Amino acid sequence: MIPALPSPLTRTDCLLLAATQRLVPIAEREEWLRSWQAELWHRSHQRCAHPAPDLFFGVLQDALWLRTETVSRTLTGTPSLCILLLVSLLLLATIPAIIAVGSLHAFTVVAFANLPRIAAESSLIVFVSLATAVTSLEENLSSPHRLRFRARLFLIAKMALILLLSWMLTADLAWPIHSFLPFTALILQSLSFVLFSLLGLRWSSLDSALRCQHCLCSLASPARVGRPSWNFLEFNGTELVCNHGHGHLSIPEIETSWRQSSVWVPAD
Amino acid sequence: MKPPRLSHSAALILKALSLGYCFGFDIMEATGLPSGTVYPALRRLERDELVVSRWESEADAVAAQRPARRYHEITHSGKAAILAATERYPLLARLLPEKHV
Repeated sequence: MIPALPSPLTRTDCLLLAATQRLVPIAEREEWLRSWQAELWHRSHQRCAHPAPDLFFGVLQDALWLRTETVSRTLTGTPSLCILLLVSLLLLATIPAIIAVGSLHAFTVVAFANLPRIAAESSLIVFVSLATAVTSLEENLSSPHRLRFRARLFLIAKMALILLLSWMLTADLAWPIHSFLPFTALILQSLSFVLFSLLGLRWSSLDSALRCQHCLCSLASPARVGRPSWNFLEFNGTELVCNHGHGHLSIPEIETSWRQSSVWVPAD
Repeated sequence: MKPPRLSHSAALILKALSLGYCFGFDIMEATGLPSGTVYPALRRLERDELVVSRWESEADAVAAQRPARRYHEITHSGKAAILAATERYPLLARLLPEKHV
């Protein structure tokens, strides 16, 4: 509960606080209101030669900062943010391609004409990427089927978006020169598609390996555990934890006969 | 651990805190920075654990016939950060006078 003020605030200050407090997350609203009531009270009762500073922007910026901080804390590392960022990048990459061909209709026609080639190249790239993946994670078979399905769905969505994004970026590179150098444009597009896709898919598998198997959020706080001399009998590597307390991931420094790949250890 | 790199405004606010200015309104007056800069910067400094805040005791505030203030205090890592910032911004020490209570 907020203690009562010795004398009430001015009407303008009350209106300012009433209008701005809705921006502040509920959990932090009472404390915020108490701080600002005190600051505004002191501003209007100050005894000094300077004119009282305007706190309007302070109230607004402080409330906005709390809101954006809460949103960023809630979204950082989540699978939704990852998908949202990939979709945004894809939409951004589409704009130069549409400009290069002249209209949205022309873009749709060219994209559909290229669809069989994209599908063939993509499946080959996905195959190569999966076959040469460097990260391996022992699947936690004790985790519910629903969670494993969700993790796979997220990986597939990420891979599909990366392939589309790679293709769109190659179109941005090749389509402007297609009218006067058609063969060069074709070669440039194919080669850059392979390069971008392989890099993107490699990132995608690394990113998935470093996510919580329960909530799919990025793991944090990497901590070095053990020493190289412990390899024979003890674990030596890095541990990352889930910020939501679902468990931790143990990544061995060196492959040993008893720990060949990363292990997800769920919290009890 | 390496102290974080501070912006000029953040360094100025931290310097003000180290000199004894301890609440938002006071810092604004000492530094001349606008309220829209000071308050979010104080939040950021608190999030980064360079500053801690505490409420003045209600009894003291009632005795002085005013509402309790939220005081900010510089932490150990904040002191390290301000030392590093003073090296980076040598004029920082001359910009603010020590607070006379």
